[in-house]
Amino acid sequence: MKNLKLYHIPIAYMLVYVVAILATGIWLFLLSQGLSSADMASTLQHIMHTPEPKSLYNFIEVATPHMFAMGTLIFVVAHFMLFSTKISQNFSLHFSITLFIVAMLNVSAYLLIIFGLVVSGWVKIVSLGLFLFLFLLLLGMVAFSL
Amino acid sequence: MKFLVTKDLAHSSLLGKLMAGVCMALFFYLGLDVILHAYVLGEDVKSIQTTLYGNTEEFIEPILFDTLLLQVHSDLFMMLFTILIIASIYIRLYSTKVMTKWLVHGLFVFGLLAPLCLLVAYANAEVFVYIWLATFVPGHLLGMGMAWFNVKKLVFR
Repeated sequence: MKNLKLYHIPIAYMLVYVVAILATGIWLFLLSQGLSSADMASTLQHIMHTPEPKSLYNFIEVATPHMFAMGTLIFVVAHFMLFSTKISQNFSLHFSITLFIVAMLNVSAYLLIIFGLVVSGWVKIVSLGLFLFLFLLLLGMVAFSL
Repeated sequence: MKFLVTKDLAHSSLLGKLMAGVCMALFFYLGLDVILHAYVLGEDVKSIQTTLYGNTEEFIEPILFDTLLLQVHSDLFMMLFTILIIASIYIRLYSTKVMTKWLVHGLFVFGLLAPLCLLVAYANAEVFVYIWLATFVPGHLLGMGMAWFNVKKLVFR
């Protein structure tokens, strides 16, 4: 970062906030899939074999705010890479575009289940896991650039 | 948000007015957010406890955990953007003041602790209702104060 020491404070806190937002978001998703105890493995198995049925209305109700929120959150976090002197702009560009695409896939993954294109919930778990992994990696890149 | 930091204010009165505008909007947002939470959760400790834990004598069910978690999830998102904008502008305008660093720390810590305390309070830790109140209200007031100082400096400089 370029001689903007005080700005490190909001950026560092932003990383913590984003982790908290991701954690509560995943918790909400697991609750909607029937998570009732600390048995995470059985909940994931349940999602894999018989994901909770959702109507198109339920999907749009969840997808609409998430398209906005995930888009803006990725934009705000990723744009701090413009200040980075340690990671190349080209790499940041490709990484951010990939994250945007994975986020859109993650939000729309349930459509495949709703329309019966896939019976198993693996598509949702894989896209969620990939999104989480890439977003945490982006947070790590911003933290490394501080 | 990069433009909040890099664009020269002296050569752009438009950016100064835009920053004042967003701070004014966030000032009212924070005020209304306190009122909204008073409606949703309750306006005093007793009514907040009734919302969180229910009341068997009055046949009031406790709030569903999913509902509370959704509230916390969206609160964190909204607070992140609100605080990030207010703090970025405040740092830009008051970077030479010693207090700036501590006010920004305070704003972010209050903003993060408040929703998390609400979750802990739900797990029957009643003391966290008081801690939630002690972080939520001062955090919002601090945000409103910093937004107001931003407007004052940008409009009446």
